[in-house]
Amino acid sequence: MNSRVGQATYRDRTLEFVKAVESLKKTVSLAPEVPSGIDALSLDGSKAAVSTQSEFNKRASKIGLGIHQTSQKLAKLAKLAKRTSVFDDPSVEIQELTTVIKLDITGLNSAVVDLQLLCNSQNESGNTSRDTSSHSTTVVDNLKNRLMNATKEFKKVLTMRTENFKVHENRRQLFSSSSSKDSSNPFLRQRPLASRGHHDSSTPAPWESDTNNSSSLFLGRTNADPSSSTQPLVQQQQQQMAAVQDSYMNSRSEALQGVESTIHELSNIFTQLATMVSQQGELALRIDENMDDTLANVEGAQSQLLKYLTSVSSNRWLMIKIFFVLMVFLMIFLFFVA
Amino acid sequence: MRVTALVILNSAASSSSSPEAADPVVLANATDVSRFGYFQRFAAREFILFVARTVANRTPAGQRQSVQHEEYKVHSYNRHDLCALAFMDDHYPVRSAFALLNQILDEYQKAFGESWRGVKVDATQPWPYLTEALTKFQDPAEVDKLFKIQRDLDETKIILHKTIENLLDRGVKLDDLVEKSSDLSAASQMFYKQAKKTNQCCTML
Repeated sequence: MNSRVGQATYRDRTLEFVKAVESLKKTVSLAPEVPSGIDALSLDGSKAAVSTQSEFNKRASKIGLGIHQTSQKLAKLAKLAKRTSVFDDPSVEIQELTTVIKLDITGLNSAVVDLQLLCNSQNESGNTSRDTSSHSTTVVDNLKNRLMNATKEFKKVLTMRTENFKVHENRRQLFSSSSSKDSSNPFLRQRPLASRGHHDSSTPAPWESDTNNSSSLFLGRTNADPSSSTQPLVQQQQQQMAAVQDSYMNSRSEALQGVESTIHELSNIFTQLATMVSQQGELALRIDENMDDTLANVEGAQSQLLKYLTSVSSNRWLMIKIFFVLMVFLMIFLFFVA
Repeated sequence: MRVTALVILNSAASSSSSPEAADPVVLANATDVSRFGYFQRFAAREFILFVARTVANRTPAGQRQSVQHEEYKVHSYNRHDLCALAFMDDHYPVRSAFALLNQILDEYQKAFGESWRGVKVDATQPWPYLTEALTKFQDPAEVDKLFKIQRDLDETKIILHKTIENLLDRGVKLDDLVEKSSDLSAASQMFYKQAKKTNQCCTML
């Protein structure tokens, strides 16, 4: 009997085999009822084991198919994310695909966990052979690895998408010349979208309920486009307004930093001023000392001169000298005349 | 650096979701149109009001915006649907403009509380605070403390530069004085020695 999911490549004919064995046994053996009962029981047991094994295989094949489909969707998403140009931004489909893939991955994750539990319970129940248990564990590990690879790919694609988006935003800001243009454009474009938003009041806004939107997408509805396309527009608007606010705040912070640096410079100037004043104070002290020396010298010289003056102007020595000279003349005169 | 007009509007009616957006309602208005000729003044006032309405219509709530219009810059700040605009020339610093808008919004809310929300027609009475603000804040230093501090600091820096130059000159003069005083000291010492010599040597003659 073929498994119903198209991707599996095995044909589960164990039930045919079991029926063939039964029929053979019935024709060949003439054993008593008890062993046949036991046979039947063991057959039933083995059938149960076989059925659980086929159940395991069915689920594993379903999970494998799911992983394959998810990786295909992921490849499509990667292509879309790489392809984005500045104006032709398919962010709507990217959003949808992202949510779908996220749901798929979570569903597959839970299914793999269930499968692993089943495999463990089978191994513990003990009526499977060693090969079967190793086979089932190998299958579970393989599925887990594939799911992990798919998740990593998904994360890579998301990072690439955000980088692209940032690059586009930078380019858009480079090309928009003045703020008035930026402010008027979103407003001009917003009015017609706002009027359309009234018609689409049945679909919820994408930023309100993510799961709600994705579930609606899952069911195949596609008229969530107009309301979800306002989201990147509002984002652009908000980013431009954030840029204006940022520039205001930046200018305030720059002014404060300017004031702080001016105050630093002023403090430097004051310290230099103080150094220079102290150095010049030293010079003033030297001058003071020199002037004191000069004063002392001049005072001493003045006293000397004063003494000289008094000695010159006093008559006592002079009188003695004149009297001495007269006496000498008198003596000579007396000696030579008398 | 001039402020030409200050306008306060109620832009609650102009929320962009409603397609039949009414224009913002002027709550207070102060214009200085003395630069224009007498006959152009009325037209200039009308023009200012019209531009004010348009810009206030396009400023979303809680955002600041600056628009260049001919030779004027229009700065607008929308805070909880109360929108304040200022028309000024290019030299006025943008940051001070927004500080001014903040201040007049605060004053208006202090003066009128929330009563402005119900006003649907343009207010015709002038608000005296706004007119005196227009004259007082022609100089951005009045309204923006940071600007004033920066200006004072710059003046102080200039004064300090001059002081340091004076100090250098003083240093040069002090050097000169040191030289001269040392010369004087040497000369006085020679004088003293001479005087002592004449006093002691020829006392006999």
